[in-house]
Amino acid sequence: MHEIVFYLAFVWMTVLLVVSAAAVIRLRSTAARILALDMLTLILAALLVLYADATRSSYYMDAALILSLLAFMATLILGRYYGERKIF
Amino acid sequence: MASAFASAIPYVADALVILGVFVMTVGVYGAIRMPDTYTKLHAMSKAVFLGVVSLCASSAVTGDPAIIYRAILIGVFLLVTTPISSFVIARAAFLRGERMETADACDESGRGLTRGKE
Repeated sequence: MHEIVFYLAFVWMTVLLVVSAAAVIRLRSTAARILALDMLTLILAALLVLYADATRSSYYMDAALILSLLAFMATLILGRYYGERKIF
Repeated sequence: MASAFASAIPYVADALVILGVFVMTVGVYGAIRMPDTYTKLHAMSKAVFLGVVSLCASSAVTGDPAIIYRAILIGVFLLVTTPISSFVIARAAFLRGERMETADACDESGRGLTRGKE
């Protein structure tokens, strides 16, 4: 029963990943696109956390941590560059 | 008592996974449903962050100490960085003058970013 829950969670998170990738492509406003890119990377990190939970291996948690860190840096740099045309 | 609690742990993990997936679904639905950037920020940043934290709690319930420490680290890191990235995106949208599309939006900066009156 627990495996069924994890399989359904994997499938549904993949659907959410596809929907947020379509949102990155299809949204008109650039700030909303940056926001959707942040959301897409966080969903990828959540998939890695779910996979680490399903296989009981802690290496994927490291990957999820680094991915959320990179998502934060990318959002910061893209937002500052879009907002005021400079990063620092 | 301890064995009953140990046998209930997988169900707690399943409930946390279902909760996290539901909360992230709400966040993604808000991303494609809300009309402008400022209201998209309400839905996406908070909901997706809470979904990731719920999934981290699910893996911390069942896992060994290596997974627990990393789950706590991910949760604390997201708790620190999510308001900053939301603030940066809202500031970028405001500086570039993106309009507020909701019906009774109120722009108190005097730049007239609302769509309706004035």
